[in-house]
Amino acid sequence: MSVHLEQVAFRYPGSGFDALRDLSLEFAPGLVHLVTGRLGSGCSTLLLVIAGLAPHVTGGSRSGSVVTLGLDPGGSGRRDLAGRIGLLLPTPWTQLSGMAYTVAEEVAFGPANLGWNRDRIREAVDGALRLVELERFADRDPRTLSGGELQRVMFAAIVAMDPAVCLLDEPAMELDLETTEMIYQHLPALARERTVIVATTDLDRAVRVADRVVLLDGGSVIGEGNPADVLGTARAVEAGATTSAARIAYLAGIAPTFPLTVSAAVERFSR
Amino acid sequence: MTALRFEDVWFGYGAVPVLEGIGFAVEPGEAVALLGRNGAGKTTLTKLVMALLHPHRGYVWVGDRITQGRTPEQIAARAAYVFQHADQQLFARTVLREVAFAPRQLGLPPHEIEALATDALRRVGLDRVGHEHPYDLPPAQRKLVTLAAALAQQPRVLVLDEPSQGMDAPSIQRVADVIRSLASEGVAVLAVTHDLSLVTEALDRTIVLDGGRIAYDGLSATLVTDATRARQLGLGVPPGVQLSLRLDLPGRPLRLADVAAALRAPEKGGRSAG
Repeated sequence: MSVHLEQVAFRYPGSGFDALRDLSLEFAPGLVHLVTGRLGSGCSTLLLVIAGLAPHVTGGSRSGSVVTLGLDPGGSGRRDLAGRIGLLLPTPWTQLSGMAYTVAEEVAFGPANLGWNRDRIREAVDGALRLVELERFADRDPRTLSGGELQRVMFAAIVAMDPAVCLLDEPAMELDLETTEMIYQHLPALARERTVIVATTDLDRAVRVADRVVLLDGGSVIGEGNPADVLGTARAVEAGATTSAARIAYLAGIAPTFPLTVSAAVERFSR
Repeated sequence: MTALRFEDVWFGYGAVPVLEGIGFAVEPGEAVALLGRNGAGKTTLTKLVMALLHPHRGYVWVGDRITQGRTPEQIAARAAYVFQHADQQLFARTVLREVAFAPRQLGLPPHEIEALATDALRRVGLDRVGHEHPYDLPPAQRKLVTLAAALAQQPRVLVLDEPSQGMDAPSIQRVADVIRSLASEGVAVLAVTHDLSLVTEALDRTIVLDGGRIAYDGLSATLVTDATRARQLGLGVPPGVQLSLRLDLPGRPLRLADVAAALRAPEKGGRSAG
């Protein structure tokens, strides 16, 4: 397992309650894992804990054991994990280095700080920009891009570092439909040699590429397994975390397991 | 009186043209979606409404007030703006103080300020967190705080930039309910969004920007049921609508609850499933 959590709890500074409670989870490489739940259920916090930014940057307190790629990201392993964990924030403008005058420089920022040589950096930047179809933006000032364009740049910046664990928090939040589909289509290939964990509420699209789902509520796991078993349930609908097709099926009063996609719903309702 | 009017509006950033000859009007009580690909100029257009930017050519009218030569403060009495990212907007120490800011600036008496703020928080479902710090709430709830702050302003025009972004299904439904209820009260709503489900639930008319111009201006229902046209404009058909069309449900319902109702009631021509 590349990520292993054992009885993990986390509390933000000044908060009166735990944002994560008694979480024991494993995330294997080769799969696209979705983490979802209603607002405030702890999905983003979980990614921060796996990345080691909580509590190191956020403050607060963590208990339990977190092992990412064999190391504790919140403690002694932090330095050795640099560049091996990529975290895409849902607010891409907060992730800009502030040191780059062009998109290509921005994408090169991570690899350059990992001490790579020029040829390797150039190859990584070109490949990452090609992946998100932003080659023509390479010389643009990142500060002049729209939110959607910027989110693609930051996605490229993560991919360019070739991390073993990719943590993507609402990776399509700023994107239009075409670009959203492009990003999601890349995830299975990205996961082939990595662990990809996506935190999202956009389940209509994300569920199509998900291998496994972790459903959180109030910071606790209330479901875990393949998408149909976890999201096609009344519990998922009531937790505010399922697809439109499943919500319609639930409201229509049919018996679970609810269909997650339109095609599955058409088949179910055509019987 | 027309709530919002663009007359042959042109705008660009430096040498990069963004909007080229935009013209449309929104009447009181209309709820309009503003769609388009990333970089189409949607947010730019909303900033022109609020006088945060001014046209290089043409005019923008908010009610009877032209934005030319005016500041955002002078437009704020007529129009409220909910930013795409709540963190660009929030500054008060409690949710209640945040929401009460606009009525306080308008010089209303304390009891009215409190009533407006409390009512606005109730409408967005945040009446229990009035004394929390806004930044102690998750990002999507912070966004609901900014929506409540706009409601407390009692605007005649409400401009929303991606109001459902990053929200879960119940929160999106809440936003849709608020938009529908505002429109029924005569408020003109202009919402930038990529969320076609929100469009179907709450925004009856759609304007699509493409290449700096208006590529579609018409009924949302017409657009979301025309997959070919929607795809040409970089849009999709929401799952509920797809289901309605593929099952050929009677009356062709589009909103999620209506689709479910049609499926729930076989005696009314709907379907059941095992």
